[in-house]
Amino acid sequence: MKFSYNWIREMVPGLDVPPRELMRLITTKTAECEGLEEVGGALANASVARVMSVEPIGEGHNRKALVETRRFGTKTVVCGAPNCRAGMLTAYIASGVKTIDGVESDGMLASGRELGINSDHSGIVELTSEELVAADSVIEVDNKSLTHRPDLWGHHGMAREVGAITRRPLRDPVRLGLLPAAPGVIGVQIDDLALCPRYSALVFENVTVQLSPLWLQYRLEAIGLNTINNIVDVTNYVMAELAQPMHAFDADKLRGDTIFVRNAWPGEWITALNGEKYELAGSNLLITDSAGPIAIAGVIGGMDSSISEGTKRIVLESANFQAASVRKTSVALKLRTDASMRFEKSQDPLNTVRGLARAVELLQQVSPGIRLVGGVSDRKAEFKPPAPIEVTVDWLNRKLGRKVSAAEVRSIFESLEFGVRETASGRFSVTVPSWRATRDVSIKDDLLEEVGRMIGYESITPQAPLIASVVPPANPSRLYHRRVRAMTAAQGFTEVYNYSFVSEEMIAPFGFAPSGHIRVTNPIASDQTMLRTSLLPAIRKNILDNSRRLDAFRLFEIGREIHPRGEGLPEETPHLTAAMYERHGDGRAQLFELKRLAECLMRGCEVRPAAPRPFEHPERAAVVGWRGQEIGRLFEFHPSLGIEGRAAVLDLDLAVMERLDDQEIRYQPLRRLPTSAFDLSVVANVREPAGAIERRMADAAGSNLAEIEFVREYTGAPLPEGRKSVSYRLTVGAADHTLSSDEAAAIRNRVIEALQREGFELRI
Amino acid sequence: MSLDDQIQKLATEALAQIDQANGLEALEAVRVDVLGRKGSLAQVSKDFGKLATEERAASGKALNAAKQKLESALEARKQTFSNQALTERLCGEWIDLTLPAPRPRPGSLHPVTQIQNEIEDLFTSLGFAVLDGPEVETEYHNFDALNIPAHHPARDMQDTFWLEGGNLLRTHTSPVQVRGMERLGPPLRMIAPGRTFRNEEVDASHEHTFYQVEGMMVDRDVSVAHLIYFMKTLLSAIFKREVTVRLRPGYFPFVEPGFELDIRCLICGGPGCAVCKQSGWVELLPCGLVHPNVLLMSGIDPDQWGGFAFGLGLTRLAMMRYGIDDIRLLQGGDLRFLSQF
Repeated sequence: MKFSYNWIREMVPGLDVPPRELMRLITTKTAECEGLEEVGGALANASVARVMSVEPIGEGHNRKALVETRRFGTKTVVCGAPNCRAGMLTAYIASGVKTIDGVESDGMLASGRELGINSDHSGIVELTSEELVAADSVIEVDNKSLTHRPDLWGHHGMAREVGAITRRPLRDPVRLGLLPAAPGVIGVQIDDLALCPRYSALVFENVTVQLSPLWLQYRLEAIGLNTINNIVDVTNYVMAELAQPMHAFDADKLRGDTIFVRNAWPGEWITALNGEKYELAGSNLLITDSAGPIAIAGVIGGMDSSISEGTKRIVLESANFQAASVRKTSVALKLRTDASMRFEKSQDPLNTVRGLARAVELLQQVSPGIRLVGGVSDRKAEFKPPAPIEVTVDWLNRKLGRKVSAAEVRSIFESLEFGVRETASGRFSVTVPSWRATRDVSIKDDLLEEVGRMIGYESITPQAPLIASVVPPANPSRLYHRRVRAMTAAQGFTEVYNYSFVSEEMIAPFGFAPSGHIRVTNPIASDQTMLRTSLLPAIRKNILDNSRRLDAFRLFEIGREIHPRGEGLPEETPHLTAAMYERHGDGRAQLFELKRLAECLMRGCEVRPAAPRPFEHPERAAVVGWRGQEIGRLFEFHPSLGIEGRAAVLDLDLAVMERLDDQEIRYQPLRRLPTSAFDLSVVANVREPAGAIERRMADAAGSNLAEIEFVREYTGAPLPEGRKSVSYRLTVGAADHTLSSDEAAAIRNRVIEALQREGFELRI
Repeated sequence: MSLDDQIQKLATEALAQIDQANGLEALEAVRVDVLGRKGSLAQVSKDFGKLATEERAASGKALNAAKQKLESALEARKQTFSNQALTERLCGEWIDLTLPAPRPRPGSLHPVTQIQNEIEDLFTSLGFAVLDGPEVETEYHNFDALNIPAHHPARDMQDTFWLEGGNLLRTHTSPVQVRGMERLGPPLRMIAPGRTFRNEEVDASHEHTFYQVEGMMVDRDVSVAHLIYFMKTLLSAIFKREVTVRLRPGYFPFVEPGFELDIRCLICGGPGCAVCKQSGWVELLPCGLVHPNVLLMSGIDPDQWGGFAFGLGLTRLAMMRYGIDDIRLLQGGDLRFLSQF
């Protein structure tokens, strides 16, 4: 929202705070100012001028004009504007002497654009009075910071703030006395007063539709509103001043003599002022005449009943619509207008007639001869004034953490035009003005803000709270994830963050069914349509991207898989996905590095061969488990994933791991008695998993096995093709006595026999 | 030649031999020749019997002195040889330590992780619990329970990713406030760091996925003065220097009053520069006193309890800390970038 400094000053007479300082004050006390723009800069060197005579020079369109200026005396200028003619009143800029077409031109006559007051450059400005407008400063306020303040969508509301901040009185531009007491001549019928709490209208005749005077154009253009014609410009001016959106209908184009406010019927449509045709739904509130829609309530007017050059009579609408209804319609039609933005902030229903009164005054200025027909047609719900809010100075002091006097509190409320009554010493009964009561201020905490911002938060001294010293409740998951992160990084993996979104294209190579994913109903991009149920698709992308630049790398992500789960919220499962990539090499070492990472993270975890998933290397896929519980998978990506080189992946479910990891550690007494060791080499098929052989040995050795350790694996002569030898060292010892050589030998024999029974050959 | 003279002569000769010995073997030979059981000194001592008692005593003394002298000379010489041998061995063991260490090179944690850990530790030290909440939230927890009912224009402030079934991706970590109050009850101090989502086009300074930490304290008589104290303390710890803060009105439906907290520009210190857009202040975080409706909806009596809440952008903080000028790098997965942290 843009605010004109001059406009505000009209309502805060004597305001002497310069614009930049005012901007700082508004920012610290009311709403965030984003920028300051100087407009009409050329006006500093401009003067009203009357063209005395015009004579041609040469063949071109340039002519020589003699002008009498108010500030600079009589000047001769060269002017190319088609509308330059003797007797007209226009603007002169003392821009210096320049020779044009052989004629010395001392300064220039200016267009609206050259003066910086509107965008017109079709000719020099046509002035109607001896007054030229003044340069202005436009303060832009962040709309987000006005979300809760319906009153600040107009200059008068901002002027009230400025008055309160600078302790100056506020001038009200509205003269309600201009409204005749006569009954209205147009009927108004409202279906649902909840959707339209108030509809006020006036009818005018003998209307002249023409361009607005310069000052009006300048005001609107300066704050970014387009100028259309005098009638429409007045409605916009009132909106920009009082935050009351208005609309003017051509009364002769309305059918019937009643305006209806109702929801759209099936199949209704309207061509709006912007030229677009809108199909209307039952939830859209409409303004209609007896034949059909003439406006979308609170959003936009219709084309058919709009003001045109030939308009002679108008109906001026100044209504109040329910915020939610306007917002729903505006969102559904994807149509945000200056009106809808204001209505959705919950405008003050008492403001409609104020808007009409202001419009009467302005229309009389810009449309000479205009006449009111009858008085205000006004249909409205019953408005109950809000109950006063009780607040004590003591409570305010405690909440602010500083002392404020009762006198200060009273003066702040009064400067903002709240009603204040001190019911007991230090206790106030505060009445909220209607323009703040629609949603903004309803409880004492809201009043706290009024006091706080006006005394200035910088006046509050920071103060340490007195609070009980307690150890905060722990968050074991977070600490666990932190440990996993630190360990993984220590093993050489670099952490990446990927989006929670995936696309069908991303999951297709993995064979994941799109139906197993939660869809985003309003995705921002076509590749971010669903929520990830696995970190793998993005990890694959990381590998593809980085492999263009690097020959080898390690990376990991800790993030949440999001799985749909019937009703309620989905299941969010934290995963660690670590990957190693090498362009060259057989990929063996990578898998073992990842296996080591798994062992570092979960001591005693086991890796067992598993049926490969479609995206896993068929011979390099395993389940990672811990005491029989699956905690994740270790595998190499299948070549079909398009990775040049090899990438191995460890994908672990951190939720399961954290649960399993939560084991109390109990210390085992150190062994005092000596142990003895022996080696066994087992010949087996090359594809017999060594882990299985090891387990068989350990099982057969029984409870006196202290340790079993892999020694080596061997293939080649003298072993036949397809066979391998795997050697283990078994260390045995009992807890309560030293094993005799016979006992140790018995264990060894037991192991050998057990393996032989299962068909293994032993190299003893 | 007297016995004494013989001893002297043998000793002198032996010392010369010790000096000239070129290795441990030669040294051993000298020892056997002179000090051995059948060595030259032993031979000399055989003649002691011929001497008078007094002379015998004197010669014995001389013999012992010579033996000691030779033994220590032998020992010293031996030490020299072993030192030489050690030096020689060590010389052959030269290693070029400028060669790189074997792989893997150390990995690194994401810059946001690092900032987040730091902030968590800081708040934990001040007695705040660290809480988690789901990334997929209900409309109730993300909006309604935070005093943002349906069709409230404040919903525009946070462009939302909606999911089929009516849930949404949380637009802020504030819903964890609600979950925290529901779970822990008052008094409480908590923060909730995490991933948040806004339906925004991505460019160098906008991301649809970013990180926030929400903080809240609920206790008896919590004031604006307390809020300012906490913010100042925390921000000074985060930026590792004294910071000046200012509060100004800001609108967030779940706090009342609501503030925007600015810090005095750390680049120019106040006079104005490009970073602070010439204002001398940098907008850092929204905060405020918890709205009584929010307390009520979480089952806390606002007449008995009050609180403050704030939201800090972790992504933004990481960018400030490391001078990152393109937000897209953070989720880009480019190891050339990530391995710098």
